[in-house]
Amino acid sequence: MKYIFTPLVVLFAAANHVANDDVPQPVQRVLRTYCYGCHSEKTSKGEVRLDTISSLDAKVRLDLMNKLQEQIHFTGMPPQDEKQPNAAERKLLADWVRGELLKSNAPLIEDKLGYPDYGNNVDHDKLFSGAIKDKPFTPARRWLVSPQIFKGRIIDIFRLKGEAYSKYKSFYGITAPFVLPDRSGIRDYALTPLDGGHLLVMLTNADWISQKQIRAARVKKGDFKADYFENPSDRFSPPTPSAFEAVILNTAKPSDDAIIAAIQAQFGIVLKRPASDREQAKYLAMTRSAIDLAGNTEGLRQMLVAVLLESEFLYRLEFGEGAADADGRKMLSPREASYAIAYALGDWGPDPALVRAAAEGQLKNKEDYKREVLRLLADENYYKGVIDPTMNNSDDTSHPKIIRFFREFFGYPNAVKVFKDNKRSGGYYQNPGRDSSGTPGRLIVEADKIVDLCLKQDRNVFENLLTTDQFFMYHNVDNEKGLKIIAGWRELYETLKDTDWRKNPEKVFAEHQELCKKHNVDLGKLTHSNDLRRVMEYFSFTFGKGNTPFTTFPWAHGSNFKYSESYSIGGTPGSPFRGEERYDENHNLNYPVVQPFKLANHMGLLTHPAWLIAHSSNFHTDPIRRGRWIQEKLLAGRVPDVPITVDAKIPEDPHMTLRERVESVTGPAQAACWKCHQQMNPLGYPFEKFDDFGRFRAEEPLENPENLIKKAKRENDADSYKAKPVSTVGNLRGTGNSKLDGPVKDSFDLIQRLSKSDRVRQSIIRHAFRFYMGRNEMLSDSQTLIAADKAYRESGGSFKAVIVSLLTSDSFLYRK
Amino acid sequence: MNTRRDFLKSSALGTGALMLPSSLSQLFEAPVARQPPMRFIFMHKGNGLFPSVMVPPSLSAQDMEKENKKEAFEVDLDKHELPKWMSVLNAHKKDMTILQGLSGRMCTNGHHSWQSCLGVYAATERLASIKWATVDFELARLFPSPLEHIELACFPDGGGNARGNINGIEKGFSARGPQQPNYAFGSPKVAIDELFKSVSNNESGRVRYELERKLLEFTSGNQSGLSQDLIGLELAKVKNYADAMEDIRTRNRKLDAMGDIIGKNIPKLDKKYFADNISTIDRQLGHTEILLSALISGMTNVVTFTVDELGTPYTGVPGLETEKINLHDVGHGKSVGKLTAPEVREQLCHSHMTLIDTIVRRLKSVPEGKGTMFDNTMLCYFPDNGETHHSTGIEWPYLIMSGRNAKLNIAGRYIRLPYWGTEGHKTIGNWFTTILNAYGNPIKHFGDLDLGLNKLIADQTGPIKRFIG
Repeated sequence: MKYIFTPLVVLFAAANHVANDDVPQPVQRVLRTYCYGCHSEKTSKGEVRLDTISSLDAKVRLDLMNKLQEQIHFTGMPPQDEKQPNAAERKLLADWVRGELLKSNAPLIEDKLGYPDYGNNVDHDKLFSGAIKDKPFTPARRWLVSPQIFKGRIIDIFRLKGEAYSKYKSFYGITAPFVLPDRSGIRDYALTPLDGGHLLVMLTNADWISQKQIRAARVKKGDFKADYFENPSDRFSPPTPSAFEAVILNTAKPSDDAIIAAIQAQFGIVLKRPASDREQAKYLAMTRSAIDLAGNTEGLRQMLVAVLLESEFLYRLEFGEGAADADGRKMLSPREASYAIAYALGDWGPDPALVRAAAEGQLKNKEDYKREVLRLLADENYYKGVIDPTMNNSDDTSHPKIIRFFREFFGYPNAVKVFKDNKRSGGYYQNPGRDSSGTPGRLIVEADKIVDLCLKQDRNVFENLLTTDQFFMYHNVDNEKGLKIIAGWRELYETLKDTDWRKNPEKVFAEHQELCKKHNVDLGKLTHSNDLRRVMEYFSFTFGKGNTPFTTFPWAHGSNFKYSESYSIGGTPGSPFRGEERYDENHNLNYPVVQPFKLANHMGLLTHPAWLIAHSSNFHTDPIRRGRWIQEKLLAGRVPDVPITVDAKIPEDPHMTLRERVESVTGPAQAACWKCHQQMNPLGYPFEKFDDFGRFRAEEPLENPENLIKKAKRENDADSYKAKPVSTVGNLRGTGNSKLDGPVKDSFDLIQRLSKSDRVRQSIIRHAFRFYMGRNEMLSDSQTLIAADKAYRESGGSFKAVIVSLLTSDSFLYRK
Repeated sequence: MNTRRDFLKSSALGTGALMLPSSLSQLFEAPVARQPPMRFIFMHKGNGLFPSVMVPPSLSAQDMEKENKKEAFEVDLDKHELPKWMSVLNAHKKDMTILQGLSGRMCTNGHHSWQSCLGVYAATERLASIKWATVDFELARLFPSPLEHIELACFPDGGGNARGNINGIEKGFSARGPQQPNYAFGSPKVAIDELFKSVSNNESGRVRYELERKLLEFTSGNQSGLSQDLIGLELAKVKNYADAMEDIRTRNRKLDAMGDIIGKNIPKLDKKYFADNISTIDRQLGHTEILLSALISGMTNVVTFTVDELGTPYTGVPGLETEKINLHDVGHGKSVGKLTAPEVREQLCHSHMTLIDTIVRRLKSVPEGKGTMFDNTMLCYFPDNGETHHSTGIEWPYLIMSGRNAKLNIAGRYIRLPYWGTEGHKTIGNWFTTILNAYGNPIKHFGDLDLGLNKLIADQTGPIKRFIG
């Protein structure tokens, strides 16, 4: 494979110079002075020509105009070492391009700036300079609920008595109508409009919900028996609200009052507000007509479905209320504020105290907001649950959504989306499959535990996440219990190790029956039996070699703890399969019972196997993507997308490491590529110290048939290849601090420097802003960001302080 | 892997699939061109389909040796006998292709494959595993119709993937988009009630139809009112939703306008097909009639039909009328009545072939353009999980029936492609890419790649070029 530049053929079809006839003369002069030098017939750098715009096909021309507008807006061109147009000339060019795009109703740069990819386009230094004194606000908006909040809203329909959310795990008949975009970075922006696809799913959802809402009343009415379920797998049978029951059980046509009561009940249940007079009148007419046509039950159900199809059920409404201030801003209404706060901190709507605060006028100023935010942050139970029910299972935590911010920021959950060739791992790596998110799923949960730990400590959170040596692995029982298990097992091993357990386990068992039973050891022969010989063999290979075994036997039902090699600390001994017990010499894990434990050769989340796998490809590491992540997430930089004219591929070469192959096509020798790649590659190369499974290494095997040293004997073992030492040197540029910028020797050096950078801290805060506000920051948000940064510093690195600061900011409170 | 450029080029599979359709009108639109649309039928079965049973018994010794060694070759079917269980299709040999040698190891294999067999990725029962729209939906978007796509199923009530209500509307094998499973009709009764309600003679059906119309009229008006005074993105947030409701109303109006033709084609089914305890064989026959009615009336151009699944409770099988056949047991070699497991398999597959014969004959009897409706039809019959009961996806046999306007140059042949891992090998991803490319979707490659294959052959992406006529 070659790294290929494919020219946009149409763009350059005109071999000869064609005058830009319809380009105004002043604009042509600017183009001629500053652009044609590189982008005309003779040079056409980057394969772009600007001297033939007039002759281009309309579509190609628009594409070029879009690119031109981006370059003008971000002052990407002319290159810094070339002669620059003055402000008036830039404006002339910008106005002309804008006009051309408007003529064709094409998207403008302004439309794009709100999208996540453009978040870093607001000048970082200006944002934090303190020079911007604009009053922050968020545009008035509808914000589509996330899939997690959608689930909370469905639960709210059925938890009529305020039961715990955790009581409801899933609903047979509900499909989330939307998914969050599959991208690295903050995913839930207030940009998505409801559309036809959402409607199709909601029609099915609304039908199921309404059937369930009236089921109990229909049983009472005698339509069917309580134990009859049309679908035996769907036996959910919630109570019917009394207002609905009154209509259904009425043998005559219901009165207007009864219908109105039902309408108001459904508005209260679904939209959490009463119907207005106008809405009530419309819904009354519709329900009455439906009842006339189909009877009380079906007529009523029609109304229930109609309320469920209100777009308001799927949006968070944030318009502001009351008189606008001098800057034209309106504060959120108390009700809007209660939802904004509740959904910022979790997936459930306002808790009773927040509802009360809104109703009693206690959500009117920043102090009110701060009180409620602090109260909910201190509440260990209200939001308690798994981190993301839509991705993979995890332990319950008090504030799942806060951990979700770090999941989105670091992007390590994407590890489940990278499929690996299991054999290359030596057989331990399990791809996600049925009923399991495999090895990456478990690694993600273990990365979450680091985040949870840092958040609980709430001191220097960002720095710790980047540099901690405290890791978790397999930690499925608490430390106390784990120590007790190991002490018991050790007692058993020490007592029996010199007996004839291998040849005569029955005799040994009979002589030590009490001790064996105490540790659930028997003589069973079933798949999961802890039979004496199997257990002692396991102990001989662990305790006997001076190591501590993992606290769950490898053959335990459902055990999938086989991936310790991901942490570069030796393989896990044993096998889940009877008769195939394997005790390879390199399976020498010394299990750290007390966790978190200090892990060598890894430092913080950027060297956690979950992050490394998430930022790798199926077969290789991915220094470009890793470097880009650091550039965009930690250095607030912006790397342009791969030009559409470039078919980016890394060439095969059996004698080169991946780094060498990447360098051969994107390095300094390739000037056009290096222009962008210099912002990524030097930041990604230091991570070559880890392979694409996240394992620490000194050498890279050159996995090419030509380099095969030894084919593995067993199907799932890795083949051996010739290897070359890896180079981990890189270069840090862009912290704005000359003491930190410069060559780095490896990932640890790079991470240490990043953790000390103000810009990195501020960049993380910018992303937190996006997460909590559902949008990109604008220059007018400067004061909000500076305050959040200050709150972090002055609190000794508390992320809770950042949250409180953001949720009491003008950006959060005001709409315009 | 696809490049970003390829991704952008194939809009339906790119952003179109990542975001649900913004305008239903595109989906429901009847084709503008005068040329009749292509119809596609994806008929799949559970419990695997042995490659060995697909082989014409009359192959020469030389070809049979190649077949046994799984080496590539092809022969004209008109010079050969079909396997006995396929013999009911003898009259259609020139329209038939037996395609062997495809693989699908990137799919979930074994007992179940969920959306894998149509989406070409490792789908499981978790919705998050659905990566993109399945190939049948992609084709439906190339040939829009009022109902876009219809899925019919003989659901399992056991076997590890049971649906709660085998007579209801449950998750099927197709997917509209990422994490968006399609829903299939489990019984002829529920399918007729839903699909043909606009021409229903029955009082409750008519009332339901009327109620649905009124509901959409109400909600559409309600949402349209919200869009006043909004501009830009905020306008789109309300207006798109209101427009979608209006699109469905427009679709309904189109269906109303098609009332005559739909009424003429309403399946004429005996009472027994409406019973809750309908036998599997009758369920298949009933679904076949609905499939034909939906296609002939023009309600849809694409139908996916789960003719059986591993846990489908098989009843009513000729010769085994008193038995309830457990396909899982058959998969493990258990005999049923006097028949051995392979004989049971043959009997069931034969029954599937009679359904295909019915479909082909009927479509050949419907005049269309200068020929018949079958000229513009392609039917694929295949296993949902590959080559056997506990499959690995190493082989994925296909039987294809295609009319003369089909854009693939494969008809009338037995084709064995190079075996897995050998040069020239093709996956079901290549196969679906071929179909999509042939009918206008330029995607470079449909589906995930087989990582194990990556090292063995140079490039596993793209269509099977020689098939594109």
